Amino acid sequence: MQYRKHEPWLYLAPALVMLLAVFGYPVVRLIILSLQRPQGGVPIFVGLGNYQLLFRDDVFLQAVSNNLKLLLTVPVTVGLALVLAVFLFERIKGWRLYRMTLFLPYLLPIAAVGLVFSYIFQLSGVLNDFLNAVGAGALAQDWLGSTSLALPTVMFVIIWKEVGFGVVLFLARLMSVEEELFDAARVDGANWWQLQRHVTVPQLATVIEFFTVISIITVLSWVFGYVFVMTSGGPGNATMVTELYVYLMGFRYNQMNLAAAVSVLLLLVTGVFIFLELRLRERSDLGLAS
Amino acid sequence: MRSTIRVLSLLALLALLIPACAAPATEVPAEAPAEAPAEAPAEAPAEAEPIKLTIWWWGEQEAPGAEAWLNETMALYTEANPNITFEAVLQSTDTLIPAFQSAAAAKEGPDIQYFWGGVWTIENAWTDAIIPVDDLIPADEWDHYLNVFERQYDGKTWGVPWYMSGNPVVFNPELFTQAGLDPNAPPATWDELLVACDKLRAVDVVPIAGGVKDGWFGGWLFSILARQPHDSEKAFMQASVGQASYTEPKFTEWWGRLQELKDRGCWNEDIGSLDYQQGQDLFVTGKAAMLFGNDTFLAGWAETMGWDKIGLMLTPQYGSGELADDYIVTAQGWGITSWSDYPQEAADFLVFMHTPDRVNAWFEATGVLPADDRLDTSLITQPQLQQVYEWDTTRGGPNLENFIPSMMDEQANFAGVQLLFAGDATREELGQLTEDVNAKWREQNPDAAANFENWIE
Repeated sequence: MQYRKHEPWLYLAPALVMLLAVFGYPVVRLIILSLQRPQGGVPIFVGLGNYQLLFRDDVFLQAVSNNLKLLLTVPVTVGLALVLAVFLFERIKGWRLYRMTLFLPYLLPIAAVGLVFSYIFQLSGVLNDFLNAVGAGALAQDWLGSTSLALPTVMFVIIWKEVGFGVVLFLARLMSVEEELFDAARVDGANWWQLQRHVTVPQLATVIEFFTVISIITVLSWVFGYVFVMTSGGPGNATMVTELYVYLMGFRYNQMNLAAAVSVLLLLVTGVFIFLELRLRERSDLGLAS
Repeated sequence: MRSTIRVLSLLALLALLIPACAAPATEVPAEAPAEAPAEAPAEAPAEAEPIKLTIWWWGEQEAPGAEAWLNETMALYTEANPNITFEAVLQSTDTLIPAFQSAAAAKEGPDIQYFWGGVWTIENAWTDAIIPVDDLIPADEWDHYLNVFERQYDGKTWGVPWYMSGNPVVFNPELFTQAGLDPNAPPATWDELLVACDKLRAVDVVPIAGGVKDGWFGGWLFSILARQPHDSEKAFMQASVGQASYTEPKFTEWWGRLQELKDRGCWNEDIGSLDYQQGQDLFVTGKAAMLFGNDTFLAGWAETMGWDKIGLMLTPQYGSGELADDYIVTAQGWGITSWSDYPQEAADFLVFMHTPDRVNAWFEATGVLPADDRLDTSLITQPQLQQVYEWDTTRGGPNLENFIPSMMDEQANFAGVQLLFAGDATREELGQLTEDVNAKWREQNPDAAANFENWIE
């Protein structure tokens, strides 16, 4: 009996060992590194000293602040994806083509997207040329060279690229909703708005939650590519984000311990959202099962 | 009985396996006597231990032709030393430092690593990632190497220079003439530069091209402009460790001068949204008249625009320090890693790179000047490159970016120049920013600050 109780662990052991080696060990090393600092070339334990230094670093605080501002892209991305998905679900003419077109940006590499938009948003770039050509020259701006516009410009590109994923997710869910639900609502006299509010959105609730959490994780810990290619964190740290800060600390300034401390913080924050996402998925699975 | 047989079988198997697994090096001498003369076994390359030297490098980016030269040099070396082979990995600009730092953390990676000069080399001595090379290279060799001082710390030399990379102001004589400027007497003073800007603007030519979006040009501008009130790079090292303040007027003056150039319309208007390379292209395509350039690119630009459209001048002077009228030049070079099993062999190869034949071949392959005075100067036929060679050897001065903390370069110079061009910071604010960044660097990295202090001495 005792043998049987432990038997599953025996089978799990190889996978567990592998997981610990691949994920556990680096995380533990990272945490240890974040609690040390070199002194005379030898790493010494400094407790939370590195974390205290971080919260006195204005560039780090700016990076955190920018990551928080990037969270504003989440409701916009989710809302836009929802609207577009609903329109496509109406089977408007050419909806398959639109669906493919909307999803295409999501498939493109971030580096390529960043590079193309860098050219588009130059002061003498395509967008400003277009605005000048149509007599809207007053709207032409230094989109990436201005400290007040650079971050919103990056946010626009993030939304442009990420929205397609949401559209495909929402559309896939809508297509699995039984048509009778919509028919019943129509028979009951629901207008278009009521149909969306009382049928479409409730049916999409779990997918919306999932996409929201994924989008939050993206803007907290997956925006390095956009920023690195489009602005390198400038002008004057106006688009600095925590991932880029980690990269600079570790590889440009040779301060691995501080880079590790930021990484631990980032891991914790992202971990909270990953946990949330898992809980939502669990709830969703339970909902489906019942 | 059965177990005894098992043990005996195992021993027999081991007896068979051990010789089979022996290193090849032990096998070679057994065959060698039949082929090599007994009198000179040491010289017979075929008998030597096979050695593979791994090289991580950068340089093709700024000296096109470097890769072909390096491949040829490695092949020639292997021909002369058949036991030595190479694996060369060309790094990108963005991976050069991160890749090496990862290697240094693991103490595994290249035997020979490319380094920019100054702090880019020395900081790796502080972390024991590279070794001093003084004793690995014959003393008389050092007499021929240029700019060795950039790699010296604590009485030792931590690398070998390879080629020179200087910062002239490049101008287009045709556009100068178009604006009524004399290409034979380019601006020598700051006031003359401002007048030149006015005249070029008057004929719709962008006076100076630049791009600061990716930051790098901010560091160049610091090195080119901030030096003029000072006598030595040590002034900046002292300010970085807190022995002077970056808010003092002589340290903030360059911000004011840069602001002056901006206010006078000297730069392309889109400088804030262009990378350095894109700004440089404005000059190469004939849309801008001047460029704070790099002499390693001259031969490449000449292929595009012709030598007749390339003139060189020193940075117009506003200051009176000893650094004011020098020619900024650094030597890009090599270091030998502390984990290499073959430091002497690596050093021997670096010496081979400096043989007169290889030095001349370098110049012919790249059009870039080697960091060695054994170059056959008759090979330099272009007057512009003759000018660079003269500046390199008679009035070379330090590249200041190589003598400050990289955090200051990034967070004060790169970011500060961007803020200035965005119109978001004044000279005083930028001086304070530089001071604050250095104070933060000292607090976050006391070990490096202490090393910097030692370096000053």
